[in-house]
Amino acid sequence: MRIRAASVAFGIAFGFLLSWGRLTSPDAIRRMLLLEDGYFWWMFFAAVAVAFTGLRLLRALRFRAVLTGEPVRWTTLRPERRHVVGAATFGLGWSIADTCPGPVAAQLGQGLVWSLFTILGVGIGISLYFRRQRQRAAAPEAALVD
Amino acid sequence: MPVHHALSHGPHWWILGPSIGLVTLGLVATINERIGVLGGFSDVVERIEGRGRLGWKAFFLVGVIAGGLLFSLLSGHWGHAGGYGWLGRGWVAGPALLGAGVLIGFGAKTAGGCTSGNGLGGCSVASPGSFVATGTFMVTAVGLSFLFRWLV
Repeated sequence: MRIRAASVAFGIAFGFLLSWGRLTSPDAIRRMLLLEDGYFWWMFFAAVAVAFTGLRLLRALRFRAVLTGEPVRWTTLRPERRHVVGAATFGLGWSIADTCPGPVAAQLGQGLVWSLFTILGVGIGISLYFRRQRQRAAAPEAALVD
Repeated sequence: MPVHHALSHGPHWWILGPSIGLVTLGLVATINERIGVLGGFSDVVERIEGRGRLGWKAFFLVGVIAGGLLFSLLSGHWGHAGGYGWLGRGWVAGPALLGAGVLIGFGAKTAGGCTSGNGLGGCSVASPGSFVATGTFMVTAVGLSFLFRWLV
């Protein structure tokens, strides 16, 4: 229950910040992607820098997560083909819609009706992914070929 | 009125960026989880299809939607009847957004995360897979945006 409440609270902060910074505006994202506005790039690198530094500090201090009591830890992944192919597909969608899953959720909260089309599409895309995973699991020899 | 005024312009990047960094950090410090929005949509899809149950990510997603609502209520701009960026205000924007959404959902799921999951979360823990994914979607989206501007 407390984990759910914390998740909602951090989500509200995230959605509010995305909205306040105009990351929910397709025009603003397009200016970013056309490299006409450095705001989002600087913002992104600052966000990663703060989180990167803070996470290492927490780990060095052997900090335990407040609500779960577990030691702070994370896993990393080696680059695979799916990281490139999936991200390129995602990048194509991003350049058309000028939004991505976080901002589109905040768009919905703002009452931007266009977001319903994007969200329906995201749901269909995720469903297609799961369908393909199930097909691969059912036909393992096909997965070996790929 | 002061609230309206404060929200009528976005914050400096050096305020917004570290604040978003603190949200990323806060999720780890409280529930030991890595930020991501795609996972929330994914939870909802699995729930609708009768598999799985709603985890913390679905609740995080509900929060993000509520955060957008809170902002628009405080800034006095709820609802938006105009067009959608470069896609304009005609009927074509709907199918274009639907198709783009499919690419976003399928692509990000394949890559293991979106701008928040791979970009913020994965890069913050220096995961090589997330660096590759983030570099790929940024370069692709920038390149294609220039291409679309040239074509359209």
